Amino acid sequence: MKKLSLLGLGAGLLAALSFTAAPAVAESTLDIVKKRGHLRCQIGTPSPGFYNLKSDGTWVGSDVSICRAIAAAIFGDPNKVEFQSVSSTVRFTALANGESDLLSRTATWTLFRDTQLGLSFTTVNFYDGQGFMVPKDSGIKSTLELKGATVCVLTGTTTELNLTDYSRVHKLDIQPVVFQDSNVRNETYLKGGCDAITNDKSGLASNKAGFPDPGAHTILPETISKEPLGPAVRKGDSQWFDIVRWTVFALIAAEEAGITQANVDEMAKNPPSPEVARMLGVEAEVHKGLGLDKSWAHWIIKSVGNYGEIYGKYMGSASSDGIGIGRAGSQNDLWTRGGLMYSPPFR
Amino acid sequence: MADAPMTSGGLLVFKPKPSLPPPPATTGVIGWMRFNLFDGIYSSVTTVIGVLLIGYIAIGFYEWAFVRAVWEASSRNECRISPTEFGTCWAGVEFWFTRFIYGRYPDAEIWRIDLAALIFVLWMAPLWLPRVTAKVIVGLSAVMVFPFLAGYLFLGGERNWFMAIMVALSLTWFIGTMVHVAICLVTNQGLGRWIIQATGFASRDDRLQKYPIIILSLIAYFVVYFLVADWQTVEVVPNQWGGLFLTLVISGVGIASALPIGIVLALGRRSQMPVVRVLCVAFIELFRSVPLITILFMATTMFPLFLPKGVVFNNLASVIVAVCLFSAAYMAETVRGGLQAISRGQYEAAEAMGLSYWQSMGLIVMPQALKLMIPNIVGSFIGLLKDTTLVSIIGLYDLLGMINAVSQDPQWIGLHHEPLFTAAVLYFVACLAMSKYSQHLERKLGAGDRR
Repeated sequence: MKKLSLLGLGAGLLAALSFTAAPAVAESTLDIVKKRGHLRCQIGTPSPGFYNLKSDGTWVGSDVSICRAIAAAIFGDPNKVEFQSVSSTVRFTALANGESDLLSRTATWTLFRDTQLGLSFTTVNFYDGQGFMVPKDSGIKSTLELKGATVCVLTGTTTELNLTDYSRVHKLDIQPVVFQDSNVRNETYLKGGCDAITNDKSGLASNKAGFPDPGAHTILPETISKEPLGPAVRKGDSQWFDIVRWTVFALIAAEEAGITQANVDEMAKNPPSPEVARMLGVEAEVHKGLGLDKSWAHWIIKSVGNYGEIYGKYMGSASSDGIGIGRAGSQNDLWTRGGLMYSPPFR
Repeated sequence: MADAPMTSGGLLVFKPKPSLPPPPATTGVIGWMRFNLFDGIYSSVTTVIGVLLIGYIAIGFYEWAFVRAVWEASSRNECRISPTEFGTCWAGVEFWFTRFIYGRYPDAEIWRIDLAALIFVLWMAPLWLPRVTAKVIVGLSAVMVFPFLAGYLFLGGERNWFMAIMVALSLTWFIGTMVHVAICLVTNQGLGRWIIQATGFASRDDRLQKYPIIILSLIAYFVVYFLVADWQTVEVVPNQWGGLFLTLVISGVGIASALPIGIVLALGRRSQMPVVRVLCVAFIELFRSVPLITILFMATTMFPLFLPKGVVFNNLASVIVAVCLFSAAYMAETVRGGLQAISRGQYEAAEAMGLSYWQSMGLIVMPQALKLMIPNIVGSFIGLLKDTTLVSIIGLYDLLGMINAVSQDPQWIGLHHEPLFTAAVLYFVACLAMSKYSQHLERKLGAGDRR
């Protein structure tokens, strides 16, 4: 009898808990963000070019700029963001449990992630792909020459899986040497602990920039995987999905239309084309469905610049912020110049 | 002549020759070296090998740290000493040093951390001054009352009614402690006694003597309360905390709460009451058999899943709670070990004197047991300080997290030896200080044993 009542008590508690856990009214993410007063944007642990800490304590990078762009679209202020730097093991959990409003980090868009983890990838803001780097004096010119080679790779990422797949398909019998820490991996490679190093090509470029003699290493031309990277949101809020997706589109469209951080005010005053007028909220009301102010795109460009400007600052230039990956002719160039960056029309 | 027997009044007197000095090979540096370093063939060989090894490492270190050092540069590329070689880039460490210490705390607000640290030092310093009375109260209040003031200084923003009360209390207490210390140093008596004398209550009834103290404290409290009522600082969210500051906050709270919770758990585990005992055993065994990193992951990622949607528990708060519970479980076993070292006779004697359970624990058993436990307690505190580096895995930027960020900054890309060395030095200093303090405490508390 005593046992039964205890069970009953437990069941009652459980029921009460699950009842309170169920959201009473589904509030939209936009409303939650507006009420809170700032955006919670999830980035990863520092990764050069995409998101890295500066010695003044600020976050910079291309993915960081996406966060700032969304904050600008909502609040008109790119600084109303709380950056949540989360390790990759718990990145999707932190989005699913509502800690983050969106995920703007180097997460590859895959079928599994898009359909089974309760999140949706909005669009692609960077096309990456896995490649190899070898010492120049090894004389290797192609990945197919890496027969029986030892290759340094980071564990726990798709990079490791791609490497074994590629090795099996091309019967290369590659011996992976796995690492937890990129600094240790680089060191091993530099001391001759492995014949080559594999990573996303953007990562290889920044690794190379940190080597004592960057000129002595070469990135092989082959790309062995597709790594489309882009922001992701929780499933179930299509308005929020649209806001994130169209923020990225606005950055790309602005570059195509020639709107820059410097001339956006001028363009809003005298729009050179109806498309620009629609985009900057001068004409028509295409922004209505997003639930944002009509100046949303104006604020975005004003705060972070267009896609090309962001790319130039954090990816293109080899400066104190950038990692120096060329853009011309790559997949990350505009479609008008042979790349894959393409925005649907603002109409 | 010198060899001729001395005579004095016809008596032959024995006059010893002055003893020869010890052979030069057994005294001074040479003697010391012979006995300690070259005492036989094996000893000589190990000495030579040892000296060569130390010399080799020392020269290597000297070259790395000084000869190849670059002190002024604004990017790692400028730290090159040749086109294909980087020098030891201390410039990068200099550039990042503020971040190592304070994390992403805004530069304009860093004074708040410094101020809190200064207050803490001033609050703790009297413990070393021999003339100060009521050290237990001063020390306990530094642990129990100071955190509210520090917490507000760190966090800032608006105070709710509870924090408003506690911050004022904390400030008043601090001022009171400082006045107390000053009076102790000048007059050799505590603040309380001095107030009683100054107000002329010394000759009054014992029961009346406490009134001037209570009234003065209340007046002081309300004066402080209204003085700081409008004082407000900019809010700095915990997301921006980091560096050594965060490491010390996490381990400090962990250390301060581990001992009291641990004592309660240890007493509970030895309790006669079955429910209390089972609960304590379950808690201790659960937290001790799970690695800290698992508990941290549970606290930061699993726990929010159980909460209603939209309720977000601060990441840092969950980490601190997790660290506290974890270290308390370990501390409980340390304390239990100490309790078991106290002989049965002490418990029985306490009971025979008619002391209640809490009295016998507080007055007889604990003081003896805690003294025995000091090396273990400090050992686990040092362990905890170093364990907090694990929080860098779950995305908090403690000292190690900040160190790791340097090598990913395009400006200093790949720079990680120098920052890691800096972190090692900082940790060494912090741990050595704790260990030295524990030795000081042991000597002081062990004075009774040496008599």
